Amino acid sequence: MESSDEVAVEKCRVHLRPGTLRDAACATLHLLPCEVQVNGPAPVERFFTPAIRQGPDGLEVSFRGRRLRGEEVVVPPGLVGYVTVMEEKGEVPVGKDFSERSSNEDEREEQELAEPPEALERDFDQFIGATASFRRFTLWGLETIPGPDAKVRGALTWPSLAAAIHAQVPED
Amino acid sequence: MDCGNGARARQHVFLLPEYLKDASKKMKSGLIFVKLVNPCSGEGTIYLFNMCQQQLFEIKVFKEKHHSWFINQSVQSGGLLHFATPMDPLFLLLHYLRKTGKEGKFQPLNQVVVDDMFPNCILLLKLPDLEKLLRHVTEEKEIDKKKYYKYSKEKTIKWLEKKVHQTVSALKINNINVSARVQANAFFSGDQVSSDKEEDYIRYAHGLISDYIPKELSDDLAKYLKLPETSASLPNPPSKKNSKMTAAQKALAKVDKSGMKSIDSFFATKN
Repeated sequence: MESSDEVAVEKCRVHLRPGTLRDAACATLHLLPCEVQVNGPAPVERFFTPAIRQGPDGLEVSFRGRRLRGEEVVVPPGLVGYVTVMEEKGEVPVGKDFSERSSNEDEREEQELAEPPEALERDFDQFIGATASFRRFTLWGLETIPGPDAKVRGALTWPSLAAAIHAQVPED
Repeated sequence: MDCGNGARARQHVFLLPEYLKDASKKMKSGLIFVKLVNPCSGEGTIYLFNMCQQQLFEIKVFKEKHHSWFINQSVQSGGLLHFATPMDPLFLLLHYLRKTGKEGKFQPLNQVVVDDMFPNCILLLKLPDLEKLLRHVTEEKEIDKKKYYKYSKEKTIKWLEKKVHQTVSALKINNINVSARVQANAFFSGDQVSSDKEEDYIRYAHGLISDYIPKELSDDLAKYLKLPETSASLPNPPSKKNSKMTAAQKALAKVDKSGMKSIDSFFATKN
């Protein structure tokens, strides 16, 4: 699965449809401390969500008979979370869709004016779109809430450090 | 594994800069994932380009064993979290400048940034203020209003030194523990940050920057910064993923994050 995505970008470009970033509805995300080997629909709202309890120190739930403890983690400031999906080949471009949907004529004109002069899209390119957005997610640990040195918390400090590494330096 | 139908399509969880959303009001296309050369390893790596505002972003992936996502009414295995953060394009340009720099000639940029393996590198030539950027790492000549560039190692090292100091400031602001030593009072007073020496910060920052430059340049930079030689490659400490660690084990795991630090340490244990 990973490899099919890899092949896709080797030669071509994968376009992220900008309009989908605006239209993405808010999603509920949980990061579980276990590997579920399948990708697909799951009745989260029927089994998982109703079982979540507010305990004395954090949230509690159980999954497959194991007790999980969790807490809400906020996406770092300046960032927004998105869930994206690769479009299947031959799918109707969403891009056309939303420019037609746009009822505001001025906005449409503005879009066309700002369009870069050269054609960025090519026949063999692929497209990816945001299906949902989020500002926070629930981080779960087995028996205990993941501590301050949990890897995922370390990763969330990365954007502020990356900003410093990549900021332009003053000239002499 | 059956991935045939649309409902089972792989979902990627991304953290993107908020301003990309606002920028999207003005464009129908222009956010592109492309594979470009990684300036450290020389291998192909995926970057994100914002063609409208002419920005380059690098993509880092948080990946740890035994994680999965629940996304609304679906499950996504792997528990991957992708970060897109702004990247200084000069690191990528440097890869090409050093390559042609060996010929010792002044050359126009479109003859420098050429790559059969990663043809999308021409996107780099569209970035704004390229001339200003290149002044940090090249000598330039102008003939008939056309610019010619030659890689300068001296200027590059000075530019990298500024990057290191800039990163040191960020490490201090973010309270990142860079100390290699275990000090008993750190467990009690909680102010171990103040006991970190400037040299520890510089070595840590040098390690972070080294993920964007080839080994050879990293070694030259270490010499220039007068960093004492360390046992060449500190093996990554074995990961302690046990959720039932004692307080002392946790403290030790924290102290292990030390020395010359690779960016990988922010994302996952190396496989």
